[in-house]
Amino acid sequence: MRRRSLLLQVGVSVLLLAFLALLVNNLAVNLLRTGLGLDFGWLGRPSGFALAESALPYTPSDNYLWALTIGWLNSLKVIAAGLVLATLLGVAAGAARSSSNRLLRSLAGGYVAVIRQVPLLLQLLFWYFVAFLGLPETPIGDLIQLSNQGISLLGMPLSVEFCAVLTGLTVFTGASIAEIVRGGVNAVPRGQWEAFRSLGLSEGLGFRRIVLPQALPAILPALTSQYLNLAKNSTLAIAVGYADLYAVSDTTITQTGRAIEGFLLLLISFLLLNLLISGGMAGINATVLGRMRRSR
Amino acid sequence: MNRWLNRSVTLVLTALIGWGVWSVLHWLLLAADWQVVVSNLPLYVVGSYPVDQRWRPLLWMIALVVLIGFTLLGPRRGPLQRWLPLIWLAMAPLGLWLVAGGMMLEPVSTRDWGGFTLTLLLTFGSGLLALPIGVLLALGRRSRLPVLRLSSTAYIELMRAVPLIAVLFFGQLLIPLFLPPGLEINRVLRAVLAFAFFAAAYIAEDVRGGLQAIPPTQREAAAVLGLSEWQSLQLVVLPQALRIALPSLTNQAVGLLQNTSLMAILGLVELLGISRSLLANPVFIGRFLEVYLWLAAVYWLACTAMALLARHLELRLDPLRSDR
Amino acid sequence: MTVAIRATDLVKSYTPGSRALDGVSLEVASGEVLVVMGPSGSGKSTLIRTFNGLEKLDGGELDVLGVRLDAAHEERPVCEIRRRVGMVFQQFNLFPHLSILDNITLAPVKVQKRPKVQAEQRAIELLDQMGIREQAHKFPAQLSGGQQQRVAIARALALDPEVMLFDEPTSALDPERVKEVLDAMRQLARDGMTMVVVTHELGFAREVADRVMFMDQGQVVETSDPASFFTNAREERSRRFLSQMV
Repeated sequence: MRRRSLLLQVGVSVLLLAFLALLVNNLAVNLLRTGLGLDFGWLGRPSGFALAESALPYTPSDNYLWALTIGWLNSLKVIAAGLVLATLLGVAAGAARSSSNRLLRSLAGGYVAVIRQVPLLLQLLFWYFVAFLGLPETPIGDLIQLSNQGISLLGMPLSVEFCAVLTGLTVFTGASIAEIVRGGVNAVPRGQWEAFRSLGLSEGLGFRRIVLPQALPAILPALTSQYLNLAKNSTLAIAVGYADLYAVSDTTITQTGRAIEGFLLLLISFLLLNLLISGGMAGINATVLGRMRRSR
Repeated sequence: MNRWLNRSVTLVLTALIGWGVWSVLHWLLLAADWQVVVSNLPLYVVGSYPVDQRWRPLLWMIALVVLIGFTLLGPRRGPLQRWLPLIWLAMAPLGLWLVAGGMMLEPVSTRDWGGFTLTLLLTFGSGLLALPIGVLLALGRRSRLPVLRLSSTAYIELMRAVPLIAVLFFGQLLIPLFLPPGLEINRVLRAVLAFAFFAAAYIAEDVRGGLQAIPPTQREAAAVLGLSEWQSLQLVVLPQALRIALPSLTNQAVGLLQNTSLMAILGLVELLGISRSLLANPVFIGRFLEVYLWLAAVYWLACTAMALLARHLELRLDPLRSDR
Repeated sequence: MTVAIRATDLVKSYTPGSRALDGVSLEVASGEVLVVMGPSGSGKSTLIRTFNGLEKLDGGELDVLGVRLDAAHEERPVCEIRRRVGMVFQQFNLFPHLSILDNITLAPVKVQKRPKVQAEQRAIELLDQMGIREQAHKFPAQLSGGQQQRVAIARALALDPEVMLFDEPTSALDPERVKEVLDAMRQLARDGMTMVVVTHELGFAREVADRVMFMDQGQVVETSDPASFFTNAREERSRRFLSQMV
């Protein structure tokens, strides 16, 4: 029995290694043929391309590494804002789906049903080409100034591309979060609703203070995977010309031809990003569960 | 107080919806110009497929529609019902043969594939490929052999960490590098492979969830009856696990259909891609809203049809509801 | 008299330091009905699960129908034993995705390679014998616990086993359903089946058992015929157990 499993183990390892060796061998042959070896030296060379927006100073004479860093920061910016807004929208829509107002309930239901069955990319294109580029050329509004040149939020200038990506990600992820919130809320016994109503608490207060805290343990893990999805989906920004990490990588690879190195860098960046999000969520999860345990 | 709030919410919403409906009507009646959709219908359906061969993808799509109708509305029992799953499986090779040609049909290069036909081919092809890979990965991740377990886990986690667009982009660039020199595969096939490799990681996790839901006593019962480990897996564990995983697998399939639109960024002219090239045509300049609404309707219908089919399958497979 | 099962000095421990089986030896003759009793955690379930290789031994030696098992055994003898020994579980463990008929014919068709028609005929006979012939085309979830357990017995019998193992077959049943399962087992005993039954049903033990074995803390406390066990058990531990049961 034990001997057999050892044999099996060795056999499988050999097969896997052989398969990997075949792939690597093909890769090596192909790289030799095209005259490219694995090399990261190009990262220090000037990129030569401009970026539409950057959080830190950047010019085309800066090197590729710096360009990629700027892209990473741009990604981080839209992801962070998206997480917050999508959560707010999702919780609001999820709450609306269990509201006693029928109109509000069906409106939220319609939002979820439509948004989840239409590709995100199509939605992003809509927000960019129709909603934001459809704005008038001269700014309208006062505190929030809207125009197809950019949006100024309380004096803070935001690019149209950024706004389109942010809106698209928020609306799309919000629909998924609404479903998660609804699922979590439905898992809270109906008696809890009757209990706070009988105590004279308003619907909103009761939802925030009584129902939502009890639904959180079921909601948080699913929320984490939605956050990770949002981060991954932010790469579709390339379709509307927002200079995020993926868009910069794409340009870099097209210019340098360094596909494998570029892929490795992107992989590492995303592993980092995922670690950041899951780590943060694990922290939140622990605090929430800890507080619930203490209050018991 | 509560009733007052309720009423004001209703009032505000009614006003908002009224305003929305009015502006939509206004746009529909006065501003919208559907020429961009109406005059290009063949392009949306088959792309730049040779005109005299268009009957082939059309025939496939009609067959699909008939099959959907028969599955959803047809008789619950009958000789055909038993073969329905196989007929569905056969739709992928049938579509491939009709569209690609060969074997009595005139070959049509993948460069001429496009529109909704390509969207469906990408979805079907990669889905069918991803399912077995995903099941194997799920089994690998639960294997007793550490080599198998670790390599499956690493594959699944790495694939789930990267964005799809990156997998597709690098699939186009890198798949040729990993193939023996001289062996070349076209863009569509590369896309199908990349989609399949990506989706397999997610499918694996869904299947693993199903496997975990099967109590170990089921394996014990099978073992006691003398079934081998392989038989127990094939006859007892997997059928139950896949049934449990079916709702999440449906979501993956719907996601796959939506995600084929990403190939528009990478230069395939599937449904979204062909629309982008239409919008670049000066004749139709600025007709974004019409095109996007039309595309949204098509995707929405296709996704909803898929969800309905899956729900139907779920009910049929439920032992308590089927009246076999 | 031929011996169906001979166990010598069986040892099994799940966690180091504590032994679920601590030197158990016993013999079951062909055609005999042995009832194993004892408090929960006494090792009685573990014992009969070693008989068909569901639990691997840590020590000692087993001889089941002439096939040897010990701590170092390979996979092959276990398969041979399982083909010849049937088992019924506390939780029935029917396959929920298969109809009653398919539950019963699965192993005969797939393991013994019998023709499907023949296997189905035999299944119907067995269901008839269990008094649930009309349930053949239903699914497990549509049956009561007692009916499910009788299907489980039929499923084990379909392989024509030489020995049947019962692991608390009535413990998960509603009280009013217990009798129908016990009746089926009683009939089986009458037909001369070799049976090892772990159960708390004193009535069944008294009436059907040839011998009763009492276990506690992984050891055999005493083995005797049912009459003397129930009227004057030799050991203090057995007497205490019996007084709690009644």
